[in-house]
Amino acid sequence: MIADEATLARLMAAAQKGDKPAYNVLLSEAGMWLERYFRRRVPPHQLDDLVQDVLMALHAKRNTYDRSRPFLPWLAAIARYRWVDHLRKVYKHESDLLEDNDAYVDSDEDVIEARVSLERLFVHLPSSQAEAIELVKIEGLSIHEASQKTGQSESLVKVNIHRGLKKLSALVEKA
Amino acid sequence: MNKYRDNLISGLTNELAPVRTFAMRDGAALVAAASVVTLAAVMLVEGLGARVFQGQAAPFFWITNGLLLLLGLASAGAAIALASPGVGSRHDAPKWAAAMLGVLPLAALISVFSRVGTGEIVFDLSALHCFVASLASALFTGGALILWLRRGAPVSLESAGWFTGIAAGALGTLIYGMSCPIDNLTHMGIWHVAPVAVAALIGRLAVPSLIRW
Repeated sequence: MIADEATLARLMAAAQKGDKPAYNVLLSEAGMWLERYFRRRVPPHQLDDLVQDVLMALHAKRNTYDRSRPFLPWLAAIARYRWVDHLRKVYKHESDLLEDNDAYVDSDEDVIEARVSLERLFVHLPSSQAEAIELVKIEGLSIHEASQKTGQSESLVKVNIHRGLKKLSALVEKA
Repeated sequence: MNKYRDNLISGLTNELAPVRTFAMRDGAALVAAASVVTLAAVMLVEGLGARVFQGQAAPFFWITNGLLLLLGLASAGAAIALASPGVGSRHDAPKWAAAMLGVLPLAALISVFSRVGTGEIVFDLSALHCFVASLASALFTGGALILWLRRGAPVSLESAGWFTGIAAGALGTLIYGMSCPIDNLTHMGIWHVAPVAVAALIGRLAVPSLIRW
């Protein structure tokens, strides 16, 4: 069971004051939240690296959390930022498929999580760009395979990935 | 949870130290200090126009500078806020303020093209000087905002770049404008607005790479 928004905000406020036990609990809870947050949008073998990357970002930028505002939208903004960065860097030909955890995530999402979810970013992309990113950057198909599957030319797949990632990075806080 | 993450969490917990949280007022104070330094530099190099203090400036002088002030404050506020991220944050005020300022060059150009001798009217003797001096005056404010963003955690880099450029351009042009001896519609509407547009473009192109983390 992952702690609720109010508890996480309280733990973060205590951590900013140097409370180590509170910080330890916060990082563990944030780690579980991030694991669930990324599960559908990151191949399993890359999931833990990304979660750890965000936890380190949380640590480095913990002074930027404003105690008068909710915690999860702050964490989600950092998570989205690191995720888009991750998509840019990710190895282009991975064959691993995502685990099917949709039912688990959907059944447990509350209002805040739905508001800050990664799915909301994809809704704002044209379907051709979202499809190209999903196939190549998340599912790990090659450009050639994605081209065959979508009917787009290889150069169009590349252009759609480039434009889609650019748009995703512009949507990190807005969508 | 795996042992690698456990080790990471233990390590981060051990090195935890209290931090001073980000406050908008600190960013605002930094921008205000940069503006004061800019004002001092302008007074030293250019001197302030006497007509400003003697109430001789044309109404259009105050309208232009008032709009520049609003745009500068709105954009600086947005850039400062972007240092602390959050899904759902929106910063629309600078867009409206920029649209309002954008009316000035349109009015100036319509006014110019309805007369003869267009080139001489648009390119007056002070035009280039005002343009360059306004951009130079934007440097301190722009530097202060970049410094602030680098200390923070901006996640909307392009927006931060635009707002930094617009804020620096608007406040720099406003401060330099206090020393400008020309206050007609054509000069103010074109040469005291163009630096803002150029600074915005420079901000969009240069700032993201400086604040990426």
